[in-house]
Amino acid sequence: MQSVANGNLDAMTILFDRYHEWIYNFFFKMKPDVAFCEDLTQNVFYKALRYRSSYGGGKFASWIFTIARNLFHDQIEKEKHRSNIPVEHLAVVDDNGREDLSDEVRRLHVVLNNLKEADKELIVMSRFQGMKYQQIAEVIDSNETAVKTRVHRILKKMKTMYFENQIS
Amino acid sequence: MKHSEIEDKIVAYIEGDLDPKEEKAMTALIASSSEYQKLLEETRAMLDVFGKVKDEVPSGRVRENFLQVLEEEKSLQRFTIGKKETKEFPWKTAFQIAASILILISGYALGSYQKGNENDAQIAVLQQEASALKQDMMLAMLDNRSASKRIQAVNYTEEIVRPDTEVLEAIIDRMHFDANVNVRLAAVEALSKYSDSEQVKAAFIKSLTNEKNPNIQIAVIQFLVAVQEKRALAPMQELLEHTETPGFVKDQVNEGIITLM
Repeated sequence: MQSVANGNLDAMTILFDRYHEWIYNFFFKMKPDVAFCEDLTQNVFYKALRYRSSYGGGKFASWIFTIARNLFHDQIEKEKHRSNIPVEHLAVVDDNGREDLSDEVRRLHVVLNNLKEADKELIVMSRFQGMKYQQIAEVIDSNETAVKTRVHRILKKMKTMYFENQIS
Repeated sequence: MKHSEIEDKIVAYIEGDLDPKEEKAMTALIASSSEYQKLLEETRAMLDVFGKVKDEVPSGRVRENFLQVLEEEKSLQRFTIGKKETKEFPWKTAFQIAASILILISGYALGSYQKGNENDAQIAVLQQEASALKQDMMLAMLDNRSASKRIQAVNYTEEIVRPDTEVLEAIIDRMHFDANVNVRLAAVEALSKYSDSEQVKAAFIKSLTNEKNPNIQIAVIQFLVAVQEKRALAPMQELLEHTETPGFVKDQVNEGIITLM
């Protein structure tokens, strides 16, 4: 990324190839809307290009993920204003129609959708994005122990919901 | 360990994130209770589901659009670079201008300095020439038949900063031998300024014995007293003894002797 920041824009293609699916999947886990997520993903890399000079070294993944996360929240905020629908509901997309999903995955999605936005995001980062607690702490401006404790607590809650769901 | 504590730690246990002591305790607890075994199994089962969620692949449209944006950005970059070069502060030109201004100023300074030196030198030469001319003129004028011209000539010495012996000699000559009292008085006044000259002092002492005019006598006495010339005591004594000496001159002599002694 440093070379992109220094003006070698072609290097951005390599970074795009390496990270765009990862970013896309974050959006998709948060809000499974293909058009929305594709637009946002494009936007992330557009912003990264535009604001390349603000890259101050450090882990590229964390930097671009911060951009992605901010963009996502801005977008959700905008939609909320436009439609007056609570944020939680915006992120919920009924995926019953998707036949490629197994029952357990479907159930997990239901549980995820019932979490608070911030909790869901933490789980997505930790469980789907493969981010270490330390890295999550960097992105959300917290510390590793606090993140770990929160994730464990949310997982405990999820487990309960997950198995209750199975019964009902 | 409390139940809720175990629930909190179960994920860390599965992840192998507990310290060995805690892990050992947990293992023992789980082995001892079917409830905890269920908790472990369920948690593990749910965590496994995370792994079963497939990653989505965005359509090729995203990459295409990205490449397009990149191209635009690159052309923009070229533009900004080009713009930057013209917009950026032109240090090189600035330095060139600064250098030429510096050269101009130093040229002017050097020029005026040299010119000043030249001027000073020329002025000095002229001044020297002028004073030499004045001196010659003065010496010539001292011999003029007109008394007023001679007085004028004597007064010219004031303009000569360091009159040489020749000039002083000429004025002393006037003081001693000029027929006109006013010329002699002017010479006394003119010579009074050169109190540190031995030649002048000796001339004054000599004048004290020769001079008959009371005005000049008084001026000479005042000078000799002012310069504390002890050698004047003897001729002053003589003046006192002289019958021709007027009373007011004698008074002056008496005062002078008291001061000198």
